[in-house]
Amino acid sequence: MDNSTNNMSEKLVQYLDGELTGAERENFEKLLATDDGLQNELQSLKETREAVMQFGLQQQVAGIHTEMMQEMQPPVRKINSSRKIFRYSMAVAASLLLIIGGYFALNFYSLSSNKVFASNYHSYELSTMRDDDTVQISSIEKAYREKNYKEVIVLSEQQSTVSVKETFLTAMSYVEQGNNIKAIEQFKKVITANNASGAAIMNDEAEYYLALTYIRNKDFDFALELLRTIKDNPDHIYHGKITAKLIRQVKMLKWR
Amino acid sequence: MEVIRNFPDSELVANLRGRQRMDETIRAIYRSHFDSLSWYVMNNSGSRQDAEDVFQEMLVNFIDLVQKDKFRGESTVKTFLFSLNRHIWLNELKRRGRALAREEKFQKGQERVEADTGHMIADRESRQQVIKLVEELGDTCKKILLLFYYDNLSMREILETLHYENEQVVRNKKYKCLKQLEQMLDEKPHLKQTLKNLLNG
Repeated sequence: MDNSTNNMSEKLVQYLDGELTGAERENFEKLLATDDGLQNELQSLKETREAVMQFGLQQQVAGIHTEMMQEMQPPVRKINSSRKIFRYSMAVAASLLLIIGGYFALNFYSLSSNKVFASNYHSYELSTMRDDDTVQISSIEKAYREKNYKEVIVLSEQQSTVSVKETFLTAMSYVEQGNNIKAIEQFKKVITANNASGAAIMNDEAEYYLALTYIRNKDFDFALELLRTIKDNPDHIYHGKITAKLIRQVKMLKWR
Repeated sequence: MEVIRNFPDSELVANLRGRQRMDETIRAIYRSHFDSLSWYVMNNSGSRQDAEDVFQEMLVNFIDLVQKDKFRGESTVKTFLFSLNRHIWLNELKRRGRALAREEKFQKGQERVEADTGHMIADRESRQQVIKLVEELGDTCKKILLLFYYDNLSMREILETLHYENEQVVRNKKYKCLKQLEQMLDEKPHLKQTLKNLLNG
């Protein structure tokens, strides 16, 4: 840029800023009227100034905007009494729902197979027979009556032949010892033996305790099947023991 | 603390046009019109944030139009603001490609008194780009140009504000800054066009 154009450019800015007065201004306007290049340059400067103006306006409004938005927070609406009652009822209903839901959730989550087993299990006790004196009691039965479950298991393993009743007592001893697998195996032996002979020695007992052992062993499908069979059979000794609650609990355990 | 009051339209417009008591006047517009205009946006698929943004944009447009003498009082300020606000929001919705389901609800009642402001609104995107470009200037340049052109301060007043040695130093600095911005704009012809439209309407 040579000196003369530089001077002209400065003059143009002065003109833009309204700093030329009198004759100086008149002369410049005459020159401007005949010079397209100068006119274009002036236009370009006006556009530049406009950019500054737009920026300034934007800044000013933005500053006040932030301030006003803090002042004019969305109003908190006052609610009338009927709506208040409605809201309170909804709140109460929601709380109740929460409490009930919580109760069920607690039941659901605190439920365990061991708990269900424990609340339904009672040690099997052999009935005292009137003719105790005359009938020979086997050593296994004797050990069982004395609650010597270890001994029952040892004897059962040593004996070459074990009666169905003794097998059942062995199974119960395994249950007492907490050995689910062995117990299940022995209960099944009882049931299979009865099926084969057409007898029903300790069969109902075996089925019931097998079901409970299944629960403790988390074999819920097997347990449910057995429980339903017992429940559907009014003649079953343990028919009355199988409540809807027990079945529901086992189903819940299965879902978890 | 300033006294909060509503301005009559004439005073409000006169203040903005004459750049007098601008802050106070802008605050008054917020207090008188923000609730109803934001309600419109929020009832037509907008959020509170949308309503705030649209109002701010609307206000920049309005003040600019008043200062360029393009609001001549054919309608009330309220009607005019409503129309601007509505157009800006409709443009925004169009941009977002959403149908405005409940817009018609208002159209009938408004048609009669509505000012036709659609053509007056500067393209939001381009205006933002102009702002962004000026933002890129150095802080000193921005300050000097704003003080001189937007705040209309004299060289002497700027000298006192910015502590330069003498007026000539400020004058030279201002000249250089203006030229720098001009050069930046020269590289973006579409922004020059936007500014040209803003100037000529």
